[in-house]
Amino acid sequence: MATKLSPKDFATATPSWWCPGCGDFGVLAALKQACADLVLQPKNVAFISGIGCSGKISGYLHSYAFHGVHGRALPTATAVKLANRELNVIVAGGDGDGYAIGAGHFLHAVRRNPDMTYIVMDNQTYGLTKGQSSPTSMLGFKAGPHPEGNPDAPINGLAIALAAGGTFLARGFSSEPKAMTEMLKEAMQHPGFAVVEVMSPCVTFNKVNTYKWFKENVYHVDDSAGYDVRDRDRAFATLMQPGKMPLGIFYRELRPTLDELVLGKESAPLTSLPIENVDPKLLSLQDAYA
Amino acid sequence: MIINNIEVLFGGQAGDGSLTTGDLIAMVFKRMGLELYTFKDFPSRIRGGHTNYVIRASEHRHYGMADFVDAMVAFDLECVEKHITEMRPGGFVIFDNTSDKLTDDVRRDDVYFYEAPLAKIAKEQLGLELVRNTISLGVLGALIGMDSAIVRELVTKQYARKGEKVVAQNIGAVEAGEQFVKEHHPRPSGYSLNARPDDQRLLMMGNDAIGYGALVAGCRFMAGYPITPATDILEWMAKYAPRYGGIVVQAEDELAAINMTVGAAYAGTRAMTATSGPGQALMTEGIGLAGVVETPIVVVECARAGPSTGMPTKTEQSNLNHIIFSGHGEIPKIVLAPGTVEESFYLTIAAFNLAEKYQLPVFILTEQALCQSKESIPRLELGAVTIERGKLSRNGGLEFGTYKRFEFTEDGVSPRAIPGTEGGMHLAPGSEHNDAGVITENAGNRARMMEKRMRKLASAQPELPKGNVLGDPSAAIALVGFGSNRGPISEAQDRLAAAGMATRFLQLRTLWPFPEDEVRDFIAGAEHIFVVENNLTGQLERLIRYVTGPLAHMHPLRKYSGRPFRPIEIIEAVQAQVHGRRETAVV
Repeated sequence: MATKLSPKDFATATPSWWCPGCGDFGVLAALKQACADLVLQPKNVAFISGIGCSGKISGYLHSYAFHGVHGRALPTATAVKLANRELNVIVAGGDGDGYAIGAGHFLHAVRRNPDMTYIVMDNQTYGLTKGQSSPTSMLGFKAGPHPEGNPDAPINGLAIALAAGGTFLARGFSSEPKAMTEMLKEAMQHPGFAVVEVMSPCVTFNKVNTYKWFKENVYHVDDSAGYDVRDRDRAFATLMQPGKMPLGIFYRELRPTLDELVLGKESAPLTSLPIENVDPKLLSLQDAYA
Repeated sequence: MIINNIEVLFGGQAGDGSLTTGDLIAMVFKRMGLELYTFKDFPSRIRGGHTNYVIRASEHRHYGMADFVDAMVAFDLECVEKHITEMRPGGFVIFDNTSDKLTDDVRRDDVYFYEAPLAKIAKEQLGLELVRNTISLGVLGALIGMDSAIVRELVTKQYARKGEKVVAQNIGAVEAGEQFVKEHHPRPSGYSLNARPDDQRLLMMGNDAIGYGALVAGCRFMAGYPITPATDILEWMAKYAPRYGGIVVQAEDELAAINMTVGAAYAGTRAMTATSGPGQALMTEGIGLAGVVETPIVVVECARAGPSTGMPTKTEQSNLNHIIFSGHGEIPKIVLAPGTVEESFYLTIAAFNLAEKYQLPVFILTEQALCQSKESIPRLELGAVTIERGKLSRNGGLEFGTYKRFEFTEDGVSPRAIPGTEGGMHLAPGSEHNDAGVITENAGNRARMMEKRMRKLASAQPELPKGNVLGDPSAAIALVGFGSNRGPISEAQDRLAAAGMATRFLQLRTLWPFPEDEVRDFIAGAEHIFVVENNLTGQLERLIRYVTGPLAHMHPLRKYSGRPFRPIEIIEAVQAQVHGRRETAVV
């Protein structure tokens, strides 16, 4: 293992396509810092992203990065992890990617509990297609297809994940770099499926949920007396509470990961199986048909 | 007396165990040295609804059903009503008259009915109505001369895991059936069997051969979503892959299944999925992704009758257009189509090598009448199997900054680094990208990158499986087809030849890139060209017309009832056309 790494070790030369001031810069910075602090090796990081502004992030992290199709990053990443369990698998996508087009996969990833980290970069709008309502847009959000205001209630992704059997649920705010970094480090060290929702303001198309709005409308569960991340009921109540938006790690639980259940605790990665030489034992498999 | 040549139709209501007994009957024939083809005609429901299992046994391999059914085992009147017209004159019916009575309108003078109260005997003599299937095996065996020792051995083996009592009940059932024939039906059936050497041949279903081929080819990851008639492959792999270190994931839908397949392959494992029409539709986007990120995947399509839900358990070749042309944008892809169970095995292995060598999606297109049918086949050869992984860099030696995942190369294939490899870090994006994987919409790069990817098809060309040319290559009458039609066409050929009409038949085994030269060469000089396919619009014929243009002497021969051709349908259509009548040969 290398001695010490800095965020620069995870930087790519690719210029960013994000707008100046975009919340996603904060997510990327925290992610690079977390990878460096955990001394991950870029060659062992598989970073899978979806589509949208958030999905661009895979191009900016020096790693094995895969930029798949809209909403399908989780199944892709789950299989990458199963194929090579030695990799550190990180997934990133937006609120549309995870809670709309990929909502089905989100639920199933949660219940499978693969050992990987999923960052939902939530800007409460569809930015790349120029500002439509997203599944987390507030009721009444005025957008292209909803000039009179969004009629659909927002999705509470973390509460849904908790109900589906989530084992690590957290929410951060992209302009709190230190807290974000620590949260991501906790998530990446969690043996199981860690969901980190990051409020990542869209400075161009979301004029409601701005940096200022967040500063006025969030609180940290760490500040709540006696908050216990093992308390499922408390986590659920916290996530469902109307009013100010809670930030922090809401819930943690240890249960067997998908990789452990499918592959066992110790087995080598599938990618290391010596398939180049046909296993002679395969020949006798035909006897069952004779 | 007809010896060693019989087609049995075993029918009743779904869920009554007829598939198990049908498998047993087939295995008895196989062990007696006969060649087998079986066809499952079952409804898309769990219990109830007419179901039947056709078992064809003969001295020669046929890969398809005969013209007629010789022996029907009917557990109810509905089975007789539905299939009495399919009986060969001189054939016979074993009819369970416990609850249904035969009516005059279903009787035929040229078909003999052996009536037996199978369910009643089962209940009264053996205490279990379920064993009426096994009693019918005893009745059939006694009527056609099955080797009773083989029957007993296989029945014992079949029920061994259910305990001695069940074995004894079923052996008792066989005996009861044999005894009933002795006491009540001395009339000979007109059919008999002579045992021949079995030579340890296999009786294998097409889907099993695909699963087995995948495992031999080194596939260690499969993701799938249950869908008829492809589910067998998922279940086969779930049973066997873990013994060789592999895993199977039951995905939440086909979108997940294809993206998981891409993910596992991207990570460096040989991976596949299997589906049918509706699932294939959902997988289209993910297949496009595999094409553009140049990830080697194998997709098995077990075609069934569409559109939409269609007839899930019935056969059809109407997905040909879909599999070739679906997808937005243009990617290189290869479509292989086996025509027999043996080919299902060998082409699956070829598919994995092609996929990895050329870093693209490869399809295996099969269909219900092949993938869920069993055939007797020789032992499969593993000695000659080679695993070709192409330009896969796994042992490092790559220098970051110099290494280019999508390098422009002469053959279009770029060096492929998988996660975990030192120096190979890159972005693999579904967006257009440059040789290093960086997303770009640069016009010049776009054209070059499209050409590079598509060039892989030309590079792969010499390795694509050639079609089989059967019959007399210089015959004036040509037939073209693929998949399960291999069986009925080649059988029709043999019989037409015996009647003095020589034919040539091209069984295509690569359907995309469409083998233009092969088709052009094959049809050259033919006076009649019959394009045989199981769809309404002539999807194969249109592909051929792209190559040849319209030809007055090209004739459609299509069937789209959800059932495969019987040879007589092809024979009659060819004869009608060649002898000058102009009616469309749709049967």
